[in-house]
Parts: sequence; structure tokens; C-alpha cells
Amino acid sequence: MMGVNKTLVLLLAGGVGSRLNVLVQTRAKPAVPFGGLYRIIDFSLSNVMNSGLTRVGVLTQYKPMSLMKHLGTGAAWDFTGRTRGVTVLPPKTGFKDSDWYKGTADAVRQNIDFIKAYPSKEVLILSGDHIYQMDFDHMIGVHRRKKADVTIGMMVVPLEDIHQFGTGITDKNDRIIEWEEKPKIARTNLASMGIYVFDTEYLLKLLEENREAVDFGMHIIPTAISRDNVFAYPFDSYWRDVGTVQAYWQANMDLLREDSGISPELWVIRSNAESGGEMADRCPAKFASGAVVKNSLVSAGCIIEGEVVNSVLSPGVVVAAGAVVRDSVVFDDCHIGQGTTVDLTIMDKQVAIGRNAKIGFGDKTVANEKYPSHLYTGISLIGKKSILPDDVEIGRNCIISPLQAAENFDSLHIPDGMTL
Amino acid sequence: MKLKPKVLAMVLAGGRVDELNVLTYYRPKSAVPFGGFARVIDFPLSNLMQSGLDRVAILSQFRSFSLINHIGSGAAWDMIGRYRGISILPPSTGHSSSSWYRGSADSVYQNIDFIKYHAPEVVIILSGDHVYNMKYQEMIQYHRDKDADLTIACLEVPMEKAHRFGVASIDDEDGRTGGRLTQYREKPSNPNSNWASMTIFCFKPEVLLQVLEANNREDNSFEFGRDILPRLMTEQRKVYGYKFYDYWGYTRTIEEFWQTNMDLLGSDPKIDFKQWGIRTNLEHRGIRDFQPLKIGNHAQVQDSLIYNGCVVDGSVERSILFPGVYVKKGAVVRNSVLFFNNVIGENTVIDKVVSDVNTVFGEQARVGEAGTVSERRATVVGWNNHVPGGAVIGSDCTIYPELSPEKFNHEIHNGEIIR
Repeated sequence: MMGVNKTLVLLLAGGVGSRLNVLVQTRAKPAVPFGGLYRIIDFSLSNVMNSGLTRVGVLTQYKPMSLMKHLGTGAAWDFTGRTRGVTVLPPKTGFKDSDWYKGTADAVRQNIDFIKAYPSKEVLILSGDHIYQMDFDHMIGVHRRKKADVTIGMMVVPLEDIHQFGTGITDKNDRIIEWEEKPKIARTNLASMGIYVFDTEYLLKLLEENREAVDFGMHIIPTAISRDNVFAYPFDSYWRDVGTVQAYWQANMDLLREDSGISPELWVIRSNAESGGEMADRCPAKFASGAVVKNSLVSAGCIIEGEVVNSVLSPGVVVAAGAVVRDSVVFDDCHIGQGTTVDLTIMDKQVAIGRNAKIGFGDKTVANEKYPSHLYTGISLIGKKSILPDDVEIGRNCIISPLQAAENFDSLHIPDGMTL
Repeated sequence: MKLKPKVLAMVLAGGRVDELNVLTYYRPKSAVPFGGFARVIDFPLSNLMQSGLDRVAILSQFRSFSLINHIGSGAAWDMIGRYRGISILPPSTGHSSSSWYRGSADSVYQNIDFIKYHAPEVVIILSGDHVYNMKYQEMIQYHRDKDADLTIACLEVPMEKAHRFGVASIDDEDGRTGGRLTQYREKPSNPNSNWASMTIFCFKPEVLLQVLEANNREDNSFEFGRDILPRLMTEQRKVYGYKFYDYWGYTRTIEEFWQTNMDLLGSDPKIDFKQWGIRTNLEHRGIRDFQPLKIGNHAQVQDSLIYNGCVVDGSVERSILFPGVYVKKGAVVRNSVLFFNNVIGENTVIDKVVSDVNTVFGEQARVGEAGTVSERRATVVGWNNHVPGGAVIGSDCTIYPELSPEKFNHEIHNGEIIR
């Protein structure tokens, strides 16, 4: 695609994702590690790459350092070259002292300069929060064939979940004739995936005419539907919003099931292996005599002496002899001491657990006291770089915040639902 | 100028060894895969990087494609920058001469311009074929302290193996550190010393240039060990031996290659990738892009190294698996080194096998005998073979690359060579 017959990509990566709790304490949601070697945003970026799109703006706001390090030059997704590039677009001061992005549409409006700097036929707007594979090139083709002003990626979701989404009612040509944002009473099960193809001129006009509009789903899309040609682009494969601890854990576990429909390898998902700081040329995973490993993903640089079952391990995790890791997601360079059991736990990077500890045991129905809406199915969270002493016992739905030193544990028993 | 490197490193990477025939069919020995993700040349290159030597030339002429691919930009070893870089120097045609490299010394001689251009204070010439961890800067310091014309690194080998190496007699000038060479003999039939040359040479550039020119003018053979060292000894130059005491893995035969890989395993391995700081080029074969190793419900894994991109649902013991190896349910892989993208079919048993890339073993095949591992030799399988289901192949067999399937119709007995 030469000249202006091109599509510019804007990737919204500013979301806080606060329901992921300690996992987003030091990083934005798109930068949260996933599936051993990836970050959540890798799925969107790789979809962009595999769709042949080469010019990307990434809109950041919340804790962008980790994300910016991860993007690097963009070379991991082939975004370096004469007509290629990834540009980080943070909020900036303008007429006012600071203009934080007030919503998705506001964020795009504040980067109109960027849109104009790279003349395009369409702008593809998507979020960096989801786990899926999609061919945007095909979507853009459909958008062009239908001569749409806007095309929205949409999929059928369970009726009980529909209140979280923008919803559309379509005619037989997939044209959207009615729109409801996060309806309390479901009239359809067709939900917006937050993926929009806009004709560039149409987008600029709409943003100009509706200067108060800050959100696509709330303001821009309903206006467009009422006046112009807005089409749904139906999607029916694996797609997950991993914005809750439960959904995040489940999507990781889906990687372990053949029939789940998720496959980073078949989807050609790429990551920036150098973003973690340490160079990525770790040696192969090492399994000692006596290791037991079942139904798990194990990344390079891990050392397994103990037992690992139904778990996803990022690079450099050490599971010492006699230790057991079960139904858990363990990020880079965690150390599980001898004789320690880890069950149903998500462990952020560089956590060190002493010997003979029990992490995650007790009553799964006791929700977290402080964040009952975040943790209520039994999963416990251990924050980045925490050091847990020998013999410590941590219950279900517990939260250990980042950087806890072993001395901070007044008691070696953290009951179900407690936060330290 | 502080930034400009004072030491120029030249890596001899053109070698191809008959005994490693099958594995060096399509690549020089230095580019042979090693240890589940690396190549042999990663060891000297990482040593150079850790030693702060980052102006490097690689001399290669045999099947260089795999090597050139592996070196890439040199960024993997941080050898890209204003004064840092890796140059691959193949044989070239020119005004005065045009010929293939006639030997290790000739390959350096044909690149004298390159040395003169960089005008280093020390030229370090080393082989790209060995597995070891060495701080070259300590050896270079010794070379400078002695104001030596040449310093060679040596290590003690068992006396009964000394005849396979260049052997030096070293006096007691500096005790454990090293001393002056009193004698040097290349592969002597009756060695009187067991200090073997590791093919690591620190030269004074002017001495190197003189001896290479004399060698080119007067001799018919152009090898460092056979020709250059004896010539310097005869000239009574200041030649020193620098003694090395740690692990040195050499891989001239399949059995040695297998053993050196096995030295990565066990509870106290002789080779420690992490501690040694071994770097490889993750772009080569796209190894950075493989997903994590997937271990299934039927898997058993003991004392093994397995890289990203493998899928293991069978049993793996004392083995090393490169990216993309698939061990299916019921399959058993023991004492083996499997290069990229091997597939081991259901209920197939392979024991003490080195298998090159893209080889597929069907179901219910047997490769390598069972029994005590030290009493039988490794079987080597060349790349892009399809060993059909039910095939039986013994120990110490050599299977050439890309054979047609009917070659496996009969049982292949111990020691057979199939080509």
C-alpha cells in the first residue's frame, strides 16, 4: 500500500486496569506479563504487524515506563524502517498546564497532529488490553467495500456479561442501527470489542464537530450511527478482556488446553524479549533429576528441581527440590524455596519465597477483605520483588503488596482474604 | 585515544572436521549447534565480549552461510558501535592474489591489510571451535608483561591424548601462570609434555607480519600449529606459554561432541551458561520467537535442558533439546542431543543419538541400543531425514543427511554408515 491509501494505527494503552490490583501497581495493564514470554499488548501489536500495518501511535498515560521499555524501537514487531515506526504519544501540556487524556476520543483528539503528520485513508483505533488474533487487513477491506464511515469489531458475548460493553443492533447487512453503551437490560448480545476503523477525514470531522465528546463508545459512536454509515465487523474466535484477576488467570490456563482456541505460536505473536532488562539469551530450561512437570508452560532460564503442575512459568523461575507449584502463574525470576507449596497464585516478578512455606491454602470462598470485587475465587496475588520468609503460610484471596521484606511479616500466618 | 581498541581479535572459524562429517556437511564446525540454543562459536565470541575485546574479525571459507547468518550485525555480543564490530573476512580475489585460504596462517596472511588498517598493539588469534570460558585480558596482560613475541594458551591433557594436539614444553619462569616455551611439537607421535595448545595466540603485530610473510615465501604449508610456531621456535623468538586450568571442551569427534554436551547436565555441570555469560544471536533461526516449552500430561523430564518452542509429552532423560523439538506421547529420549525441529514419534525410543535439524522419527522406531551409556558410541543422524516408523538403528551408526526413505528398510546394525 503506497501513498495515502494506507491505514494509520492508534493503540490506546493508557488504561489503568485497576482490577488487576498489584499486577498494575508498577505498570499499565497492556504491559502486564502474560503466557510466560509475552505482555498483554503483544497480541495487539502482533496483530497489527501480521496485518501488514506499519505506522503506529501508542497512546500512553498511566505508568508508561514499563510499556515504553517494552516497545523499544518497535523492531520486535518489524516497525523499524523507512515507512515504518512506532511512536509513543503521552499526554502533553498545551493551552492548559496539563491535558490528561479524559477518555478514548479525547486522547485521539489530542493527537490530531500525529494523525495529520502521517496522511492516511483510514485510522484503526484499538486497545492494548485484549488477548486475541485478528486480521485487520481483512477488516479494512470490508470497511472499504461497504463504503462505511466507521466499522466496529463486534462479537457475541454471554447475555450476563453484556452490561460491560457497548452494544449494537444490526440490520441484515451488518449495518448498526442502534447503539447502547453498557446497557443495564440486554437487548442484544452483540458487543463492541473497542476496535474501530474510521475514514480519516470522517474521524477528524467528527472530533472537530463534537468537541465535548471524550469517549468513543459513549459519545462519538452513537452520533455516527444516528447520522452516517456505521457497520459491524463480526468476529467469533478467541477474545478475552483480561481486566480482572479471574479472567487473567483463566486466559493463562487456557494456554495449557489444546482445545481452548488460543495459541501464541500459531497466531505469530511476537514480544520484545529484551524489555525485561536482562538480556534474553537465557539458557534452556533445566530439569533436575527428580523434577516432576505436568501440563505446564516453562520458559527458558527456569530451573526445575521440584514439581510443576498446570502452571505458566516466565523465564528464570527457580523451583527448588521438594517445592510444588500448582495452578499458578509465575513471572520472571521468582524463586520458590525448598519444600514450599504454591497453589492458585499469581506471582509478580522477582518474588523470593523461603523454605517450607505454604502459599495459597484455606477457604476459597473467603473473599479479599479490602478488595472483595477483585479477589473472590481463591486466587492469591504476590506483588513484585516481595521476599517471603521460611515457613510462612498465606491463605486464599490474599494480597502481598510489592517490595515486602521478610521482616515485614509480623506473623507467619496470613489468613484467607487478608492484604499485607 | 581511549576508545580505540588496542587489541584486534581474529577468530579462525573456517574449519571442517572429517570426524564430524555429518554435522559439518552444510556448516563450518564453529556454527554447529550446541547446548540447546547456542552455537560453538558463541563461546569464543562471548569470551571476547566478557574480556572487553570488541574489534573482531572472523575468518571463514567453508559453507559460511550458517555462520554469517549467526553473526548477524554482531549486536548479540555488543560488537556494534563506533569502534566495535565484527567483520567476516572470506577469501577474496584481488590485484595481486586470488585464492582460497590454504590454511589457518594463510587466512590471516591474506588479511594483512585488515590488520595494518587497524594498527593494533596486540593481535589475538583464536579458534572458533572450542567450548570454554576464559578471560583473555589476563592472558594479554601476561603477554605484555613478558614483552613476548607470541604467547600461546596451553592446558594439561592426559598424556595418552597429547599426540592429538600441539604440545609445548614450558619452563618454570612464572610457575603456575606460565613460562617460556623450550619446545613445541605439532601432534607428536611420542609426546614428552602434556601441555596442549588451545589454539589461542597473542602476537606482536610486527612479528606476526614477518613470520606470515616468511611462511608465504618459503613454505608449502600454512598452518599456525604445524608451520608458524616451529618457525618462531627456530628463530628463537620470545614465545611464552600461558597456562589455563579450567574446563576446555573440544569437539572433534561425534563422541567428544556428545560428551561436551553432556557436560552441561547433572547437579554440578562443568559448563555453566549463566555464570560464563554465554550470549547467542537470538535472531538466528528466530529462536527469540518460540513460545515457552509446553509440557503435556504424559511427560517425564529428568536431568535435561530444553529450550522454548519444544513440546514434550513423552519421556526425556539426560538429553538436550533445541527449539521446536516435539517428543510425542510414549516416546523416550535418553542421553541424546536433538537439534532444531526434530520430531520423535509415539512410542519411539532413541538412546545416545545426536540428530541434526528437521529430522523426523516415525512411530515405534528404535535408535541406539539400550545398556550402559559409556560402553556404546553415539549414533549421529544428518539433517532432513525421515526415519520411518518401526525402523531399527543401532549404536555408533552414521546416517548421512537427506536420505531417501528406502535406506531405512532394513535394520541398521551397530557401526554402519548409511549414505
